[in-house]
Amino acid sequence: MSTAEKTIQDAHALEGAPVLVGRPDDRALTESLLSPVLGPTRKGWLLLLFALLGGVGFWTLSLVTTLFVGIGAWGNNIPVAWAFDITNFVWWIGIGHAGTLISAILLLFQQKWRTSINRFAEAMTLFAVAMAGVYPVIHLGRPWLFWWLIPYPSTNLIWPNFKSALPWDVFAISTYATVSFLFWYLGLIPDLATLRDAAKTRGRRIVYGIMSFGWRGSARHWRHYRIGYLLLAGLSTPLVVSVHTIVSFDFAISQLPGWHTTIFPPYFVAGAIFSGFAMVLTLMIPARRLLGYQHVVTERHLDNMAKVILATGLMVFYGYMMEWFMAWYSGSASEAFAFLNRFQGPYRGIFIAQMFCNVVAPQILWFPSMRRNEYVLFLVAILVNVGMWAERFVIIAVSLHRDFIPSSWGMYYPTWVDWGLFLGSICMFGVLFLLFLRFLPAIPLFEVKELRRELEHYGDNAHPGSEEEG
Amino acid sequence: MTLTPYQGGRRLMAPALVAAVAGLALTAVGGLVDPRRALFAYLVAFVYWLGIALGALILLGAFHASNARWPVVLRRFVETVPAALPLFAVLFVPIALGMKHLFVWMAPPETLAPEMAHAVHHKLPYLNAGFFLGRAAVYFVFWIVVAHLLRSWSIRQDSAGGATLTRWQRRLGAGSLPFLALTLTFASFDWMMSLDPRFFSTIFGVYWFAGSFMAAFAVTIIAATLSRPDPTAFGHHMSLEHFHSLGKFLLAFTAFWAYVAFSQFMLIWIANVPEEVPWYILRIDGGWKWVGIFLALFHFVVPFFLLLSRDLKRTPRALSLVAGWLLLVHWVDLYWLVMPHLDPAGPRPSLWDLAAFVGVGGAAVAFTLFRLRGASPVPVRDPYLEDSLRYLPQ
Repeated sequence: MSTAEKTIQDAHALEGAPVLVGRPDDRALTESLLSPVLGPTRKGWLLLLFALLGGVGFWTLSLVTTLFVGIGAWGNNIPVAWAFDITNFVWWIGIGHAGTLISAILLLFQQKWRTSINRFAEAMTLFAVAMAGVYPVIHLGRPWLFWWLIPYPSTNLIWPNFKSALPWDVFAISTYATVSFLFWYLGLIPDLATLRDAAKTRGRRIVYGIMSFGWRGSARHWRHYRIGYLLLAGLSTPLVVSVHTIVSFDFAISQLPGWHTTIFPPYFVAGAIFSGFAMVLTLMIPARRLLGYQHVVTERHLDNMAKVILATGLMVFYGYMMEWFMAWYSGSASEAFAFLNRFQGPYRGIFIAQMFCNVVAPQILWFPSMRRNEYVLFLVAILVNVGMWAERFVIIAVSLHRDFIPSSWGMYYPTWVDWGLFLGSICMFGVLFLLFLRFLPAIPLFEVKELRRELEHYGDNAHPGSEEEG
Repeated sequence: MTLTPYQGGRRLMAPALVAAVAGLALTAVGGLVDPRRALFAYLVAFVYWLGIALGALILLGAFHASNARWPVVLRRFVETVPAALPLFAVLFVPIALGMKHLFVWMAPPETLAPEMAHAVHHKLPYLNAGFFLGRAAVYFVFWIVVAHLLRSWSIRQDSAGGATLTRWQRRLGAGSLPFLALTLTFASFDWMMSLDPRFFSTIFGVYWFAGSFMAAFAVTIIAATLSRPDPTAFGHHMSLEHFHSLGKFLLAFTAFWAYVAFSQFMLIWIANVPEEVPWYILRIDGGWKWVGIFLALFHFVVPFFLLLSRDLKRTPRALSLVAGWLLLVHWVDLYWLVMPHLDPAGPRPSLWDLAAFVGVGGAAVAFTLFRLRGASPVPVRDPYLEDSLRYLPQ
């Protein structure tokens, strides 16, 4: 065997699982990937939908109560003016980041494995941002005046205070929601046309026909599509960083120990991607099984997402370590106290949960066999979701409840409305996701077809060796 | 693919060596004339060049951790830049000997302002000569061992081949990254942040990393461009696609540096906390203000917009010019980080600044070129070399 052949063999020895199992043809892909949309309604889907709708009822009740009673319906009170509401807001916004990272940054990095999961993750982004957007608005006290936050030359002569982080959030989040929606929808158009063509009823043909904007798949269409998609990817890339950076500014621009620290911007971004990938896995592991997507969302995808979780989890841990070190190094008594209070104060249980879920649990992902084990991965993903919620609660409520002067200390206890707004939002998110899975193609058909052709041409993992071998 | 071992670089090695001897000798003279000034100048040069070696080591770890294929052709160079780390361990000696001139916490005078005295006293368990030197020893041992293993396994693969050595490199590369991050961070606290014992900033380590990592890309781009005509060098085997991708990374990390710099500045400025803000007051009141504005414009705005150009990234010479410029302003950045603690009123450039920069840099360049020689210029038996040579992103 020549050296060159040996090298090719070495490359094969290093390969992981394929990004696409088998080489299904276009027809088989269309049929298997559209079957959840075109097939009959499944009982399990309906049951789950109704169960979640129950939760949405609880959510609606909590929202209505908040509107009628005001913020007094919540457990928030001075000194803990921000609690579940802002914790949920940061948690949901953070979750959205994985979708943007997968669709924009991984596209620029030419990562082929993003192909089959990007639409799924982008849908998650949109729904998560929608859930997040609710909290700051209802926290305004008079949410029907929310449009006062938008700078426009009004006859009221009201102009937002640009030194406040609240208008920054308005810009960050509305930009994020707009660009994410455009990006997601643009990617959907070719597949909506496929759905239109494959639909069996006239009603569906009309609806999907309108939604696909008359896509015919001509070379001109594809050319414009490519340019538009790449431009939106470029526009989305800074958003991956900027949105959570601005969210971190909400805290870091203050003088409160536990909030004011310079590592916050990158540390929040890392935490956002960490929790977002955990949420993608939480949804994807059951969905790929139930909907039969295992041939397009393979072990390779799970493995790669687990690696991203491990890496971003370590970045988050780095942020914790910097905070702890500086709490001592700064020599400031209130800094040191803020951190001791996390370890020893009345909310230490939540802090311990945060450490276990965010620092200890993900370390198991150093082992390749664990990264490919669906059950382990699902468990870690759930724990990370919990841990990141706990982290935001610890940052927000625990820092607030004991600040500089002991006479102003207090405790925070959530009311049923707080719980309703939190747990209900998870149900609402689930409902939106179920609707997405039922009515839209969750896996980008045309991109998987394109991937299959690339794999046929260049071989699995685009390794040139397999091309000659056939 | 078989390649003769790299034997070039002699044309650059001799002048680099002369620069090293002359620069270091002149800095030593400076040490006799004005020890404090010479040592500060030396510290700037030291963290500048060491940062590039560490940036390259982290880059190498990241390549392995991500199983990256496209950079295989340029990986030997990235492996060899950190091979200069033993040299930096030796070059640390003047800092260890001159500590009391550099760091106020080493020998705090009686006249210290109360809050400074409090800070020095509080930090004594961390900022004291013994622990400081012990930490430096730990950092260097760790860095040298990781850099040595990654490079020697890669060179062994040149003759032995096989996938096992790739697996080892990937494991060590990924596994060492968390510890590289921590050692680099604490090194930046020790050698730069502690110049003002009052100051603390949790992002400080990331700031040094951001600039150094960007500089590691810049050095790789320049080396690749210079070695393009030489068939025994790595640059000869690189395509424009590789330059394009390196240029994208240069762009990304120019922006990342600005992001970190802005985050640190904005948060400290807006909160205006008495413990932190004096560090920026020093850099805003008086002559340093102009250096800060210069950095914002020429370390970020201008190079950022230049690097957006696709044509520029695909023209190695033009890309190298921008990379060279960034290397220069990166030095200004570190000067701005260190020197206000010597000259609070404003920059007072001296001959020793130039001497130390050229001296440490000449030594680092000569040593790296020396380590490049004798080994194959690219990892010839790496399983993914073919992929890298045929790199064609869509």
